[in-house]
Amino acid sequence: MSKDVVVDIQGLTKSFGDRKIFRDVTLQVHQSEVVAIIGPSGVGKSTLIRCVNYLHPFDQGTIRLLGHELRGGERPSAAVLQDIRTHVGMVFQTFNLFHHLSVLDNIVLGPVEVKKVPRKQAVERAHELLEMMGLTDWAKAYPRRLSGGQQQRVAICRALAMDPKVMLFDEPTSMLDPELVGDVLEAIQRLAQQGMTMILVTHEMMFAKEVADTVVIMADNAIAEMGPAKQVLENPQTERARNFLARVLRNTPPADIPQAVVGGDPD
Amino acid sequence: MHVAWLYLGPFLQGTGVTLELTIVSTVVALVAGILGALGMIHGGKILRAVLVVYVELVRGLPPILQLFIIFFGLTQFGVQLDAFSAALIWLMVYGAGYAIEVFRAGIQDVSEGQWEAARSVGMGYFTTLRKIILPQAFALMMPELTNFTVLQLKNTTFVFFIGVADIMYQAQQGAASTEQPQVMFVMAALFYLVLNGGISRVAALVERRLTAYR
Amino acid sequence: MSLFSIWGQYFPSYLQGLGVTIELTVLSLALALVIGFVLALMRLSKVRGLVIVATVYTDVLRAIPVLVMLFIAYYSLGAIGIKLSGVEAAVLTLGAFYGALYGEVFRGGISGVDPGQREAAAALGLPPSSVMRKVVLPQAFLAILPPATNRFADIIKDTSLVVTISVADLMLQSYQAISATYRPMDMLGLAAIMYFVVYLLVSRVLARWELNVQRRRS
Ligand SMILES: Nc1ncnc2c1ncn2[C@@H]1O[C@H](COP(=O)(O)OP(=O)(O)OP(=O)(O)O)[C@@H](O)[C@H]1O
Ligand SMILES: [Mg+2]
Repeated sequence: MSKDVVVDIQGLTKSFGDRKIFRDVTLQVHQSEVVAIIGPSGVGKSTLIRCVNYLHPFDQGTIRLLGHELRGGERPSAAVLQDIRTHVGMVFQTFNLFHHLSVLDNIVLGPVEVKKVPRKQAVERAHELLEMMGLTDWAKAYPRRLSGGQQQRVAICRALAMDPKVMLFDEPTSMLDPELVGDVLEAIQRLAQQGMTMILVTHEMMFAKEVADTVVIMADNAIAEMGPAKQVLENPQTERARNFLARVLRNTPPADIPQAVVGGDPD
Repeated sequence: MHVAWLYLGPFLQGTGVTLELTIVSTVVALVAGILGALGMIHGGKILRAVLVVYVELVRGLPPILQLFIIFFGLTQFGVQLDAFSAALIWLMVYGAGYAIEVFRAGIQDVSEGQWEAARSVGMGYFTTLRKIILPQAFALMMPELTNFTVLQLKNTTFVFFIGVADIMYQAQQGAASTEQPQVMFVMAALFYLVLNGGISRVAALVERRLTAYR
Repeated sequence: MSLFSIWGQYFPSYLQGLGVTIELTVLSLALALVIGFVLALMRLSKVRGLVIVATVYTDVLRAIPVLVMLFIAYYSLGAIGIKLSGVEAAVLTLGAFYGALYGEVFRGGISGVDPGQREAAAALGLPPSSVMRKVVLPQAFLAILPPATNRFADIIKDTSLVVTISVADLMLQSYQAISATYRPMDMLGLAAIMYFVVYLLVSRVLARWELNVQRRRS
C-alpha cells in the first residue's frame, strides 16, 4: 500500500442476515483526498462508510487504517476499536447531537472522556471550532433549540474536536431545509481546502463535482464506477453509472446547486 | 409431599373465594371505571374535582389501611360489615380508582376525529361511546386491562387478614396447623401463578378478537 | 376524650412507626433499584441465557402476590433454617418484587433512547460503559422518572404489609391503637393522614423535579 493511503478497503463484502448489501468493494483513500460516494437509495452507501469505523461489522475483506487492520468476520479488540473511532470523525444524516448536553458539552465530551484532555483546554478548543462555524452565540444552548443547519455544523465541530485523521459524512445535508444546505456544504468545503481526508456520502451532485477528488458510484450491490470526479460525473464509462446519473440529473434543477455551494451567511 | 395433597381441598375452596372476589370486583370496578373516566373527561368542574380526590386517595393510601377503614373504621359509625362484604366493597372501591385512570387514558387515545365522525352521522353521545369509542379503546387498553385484572387478583390476598377464607387464608391456616410453611406458602404461590397465567391466556384470546379489525 | 387529644397521645408512637415505614421504604427502594438495573442490563444484553433468566424472573415475580412472597421469605425460609427478621424479610421481598418492576421501567427507558445517540457516542470512541453512563442513561432518565416515581409511591404503601408479620411500622401502630381505644376510624384516620402526606410529598416533589429537568433540556 502506497505511503499516503489513509484508508485501504479491500474486497469488502457485507450482508445483514441473509440480505447481501454489497460485495467485493475495493477503495483507497489518500491523504487529503475527498471521496464522494453516490448511488441510489438503499444501495449500501451508509453501510459502507459505517464499516470504516466499525459501526457495522462486515463479512469478508479488510480495511486498513491508522496502522490497524480490520478483517471480515473478526471482531477487533476494544483498544483497536477505540483508537480507530477516536481518529475517525463521523457526521450523521440526522446530526445525532446529544440532546441532554449543551452545544459546548456536546463538543467537549469526546476529548475529555476519551482523550483525557483537561476540560479547560477542551472548552477553549470547542469555542475556537464554534467560532470557525459561526456559532459563537450558541455554546450554552441545548441542541434542539438550533436549526437543522446549525445542529449539523455543531456535529461537525464535535467530530473535529477529536482531531480526526479522517472524516466520514453520511448525507450531511439531506435532512436540511434547502436554504440551510449551503452553510453546511460551505463548512465541509472549507475542511477539504484545509486538507482533511474525507469520505462523503451525498446526493448533491454539483457539490461532489466541485469538492470531491474522486467520485464512487455504487449500484446493484457493488461499485459501478469510480474515478476523478469530473470524469465520472460528466463522462461515465459504465452503463449502470450512466443510468443512475441520467435518473438523478433529470430530477435535479441544476440552477439550485452552485448557489448552495457558494453558501449564504454562516448564521 | 402428602401434606400438600391433604390441603388441596381447602386450597380449592379458597380458590373459589379468591376468584369470586376477583371477578365480581373487577367487573364492577371496570364499569365504575368507565363512568368515572367519562366524568373526568366530559364532566363538570365539581364532578372532576371529586373524582380526582377519589383517585388520589385510593392511590395514595396503603391498600390494607383502606380495607381496615371499611371493615374496622366504619364500625365506629355503627356500620358493621361482615368480612366478605367488607373485602368485596374494598376491592371494588380500590379497583375503580385504578380503572378510572386506565379508561381515561384509553378513551383519550381514541382520536377526536372518531367522535366527530360519529356525530356527523347523527349518533348520540352514548351510542357513539358504545359503538365507536369503547370498542377501539378496549382494543388499545387490553394490556393495561390484563394488568389490572392481575392486580385485582393479587390484591385479594390482603383480605385473609380480616378472616375471609381465600387461598392466602387457607395457606396461613395450613401453615399454622402443619407447621410446614415452606410447603403451604409455596403452594399458594403456585396457585396464584396458575391463576394469573390463566388470566393472561384469556386476555390474549380476547385481545385477538378485539383487534381483528387491524 | 376529644379527637385531637387522643391523636396527640398516640402521635409519638405513630411517628416511631412512620420511622420504620420510611426505613423499610428506603432500604427496599435501594435494593429494588439495584436489582432493576441489573435486570434491565440482562434483558438488553445479547446473551440469550441472561435474557431468559431475567425474563422468567420478571414474569414470575409479577405474577405472585407480594404478600405471598413476604410469607415465603418470613415463614417458609425460616422453616428451612434461613431465619430472617421481619424487616429483613420485608426488604428482601419488596426489593425483589419492585426490582422486577423497575427492571421493566429501566428497560423501557433505555431502549427508548434513539439508537443514533448511541452510535454518535460510539463513533467518538467512547467505550460502551461511558456510552451508557454519559449518553444513554441521562437521556433515558426523563422517560424513566415518571413511572419510577409511581413505583416509589407504591413501595411506601406496600410496606404496610409488614403489619401481617408484626413489624412495628405505622400500620401496626394504628392497628394496635384500635384495640386500645375502640375508636377505629379515628386511629386509622390519623395513619391515613400521615401516609397521604408522605405520598403527596413524594409524588409532588418528584413531579416538580421532573418538570425542572424537562425545562432545563429544552
Ligand atoms: N442495521 C440494519 N439491519 C438490517 N438491514 C439494514 C440495516 N441497516 C441498513 N440495512 C439495509 O441495508 C440496505 C442498505 O442500507 P444503507 O442505509 O446503507 O443504504 P444507503 O445507500 O445509505 O441508502 P440511502 O441513500 O437511503 O441512505 C438497505 O436496504 C437497508 O434496509
Ligand atoms: Mg444512507
